[in-house]
Amino acid sequence: MNERYERQSFLGSQSDRILGGCAVTIVGLGGGGSHIAQQLGHLGVGNFLLIDPDRVEESNLNRLIGATAEDAARRTQKTLVASRLINGIDPLARAERLDGKWQEFHQFLRGSDIIFGCVDTYRDRYELEITARRYLVPYIDIGMNVHEIEGGFSVSGQVILSMPGCLCMRCLGFLRDDLLAREEENYGAAGGRPQVVWANGALASAAVAVFTQLFTPWHAAHADCVYLEYDGNNQSVTTSNRLLQMRGRQCPHFPQRSDLGDPFWIPEKF
Amino acid sequence: MRVAFKITRSLLGRAFDDLRRSHPFAAERVGFFSCRVGALKPSGWVVLAHDFHSVADDDYLRDRTVGAMMGPAAIRKAMQFTLSNEVCMFHVHIHEHRGQPWFSGTDLRETAQFVPDFWHVRPHLVHGAVVLSLDSAAALCWHPQYSKPFRFSDFSVVGTPMSVTRSPNEREIRETKFLR
Repeated sequence: MNERYERQSFLGSQSDRILGGCAVTIVGLGGGGSHIAQQLGHLGVGNFLLIDPDRVEESNLNRLIGATAEDAARRTQKTLVASRLINGIDPLARAERLDGKWQEFHQFLRGSDIIFGCVDTYRDRYELEITARRYLVPYIDIGMNVHEIEGGFSVSGQVILSMPGCLCMRCLGFLRDDLLAREEENYGAAGGRPQVVWANGALASAAVAVFTQLFTPWHAAHADCVYLEYDGNNQSVTTSNRLLQMRGRQCPHFPQRSDLGDPFWIPEKF
Repeated sequence: MRVAFKITRSLLGRAFDDLRRSHPFAAERVGFFSCRVGALKPSGWVVLAHDFHSVADDDYLRDRTVGAMMGPAAIRKAMQFTLSNEVCMFHVHIHEHRGQPWFSGTDLRETAQFVPDFWHVRPHLVHGAVVLSLDSAAALCWHPQYSKPFRFSDFSVVGTPMSVTRSPNEREIRETKFLR
């Protein structure tokens, strides 16, 4: 085992080879995605596809891991910040950047071993999950939210593992038609899309733990589906009651034999 | 170019349960995965296993020279399913050992004969063969525009835990995985 990974040798004697061969797509390199990129870089993931259309702004510096004041001044692409962060940790890691909306590059996602969705909207989550299911790619979604409550604010968030063949985000009640319909209304109440570094970090860490359990499990109690709820006011991460109620049920939204692949695949000569 | 195969852990488990049953006279069982395909960027395709199709006991031939010999009815049923459902078809059987499996000489000879026959019913799709070991897999894929089959770059079992068997030429795959 590579000396760099000795302290994580409990992940298995083949873990550095497995993680080094892993192809991970991160959609959204903002507050959550930048944490994930950094942690996966440390963990030894060897192949990254980084997708984000945005550039660094001053208002990102409260949470964007790896971004500097100079990046904000120069309006550096967020994918460049992430690739710089990853290659600063592991110069051999392949970090491909796609500076645009993920829908423009959806064909690139299919080759991934896993997709992390760190996006702002329910619509993006909905479409990412459909794409992932269609090409049998596990999808890990993270997001945080701030609501005004009596006497202050409530900081919350979620980490969901949507595994092909298992419960989806609709089954878990996280995606609903009324939420999709009301997307245009800003669902946060503490200003435009409130985000803080510690909540993003807690959620990203939980998501990276879910990923690591999938690829290099270090204990026997694996879960097919994960729905973790983050309570940022009590600093706790717990399994959602909704998941506990739904365990053992079949997903009706993506049945086992649902449509897979391209609707019209044309064999090309390469 | 990358050629990938993906299957859910539950579907693979169903195939294992069927293929490891004893047969009245054949030494082993065979079956088919019906699959769909997606294009990969920058080049290549991913084969996505959709369902498993058992070969009925009566559709085996008595042949002591091989572990299992399918009769014409087994192939005819698989071809009919391909035609009716517009799916790729991958023959599958198990080698009862651990570690990376590979096709025997007989496997290669027989599959090279019958797999291209699926182009008679679905000429614009890829078809192929999968060999499973107890903890790994290998697959070959016939593409309508190439005479020789492609070896899969990686074989992914999607579920908990995830398992990805990479081709021995891992470095080459790593270098082309996300290139445009």
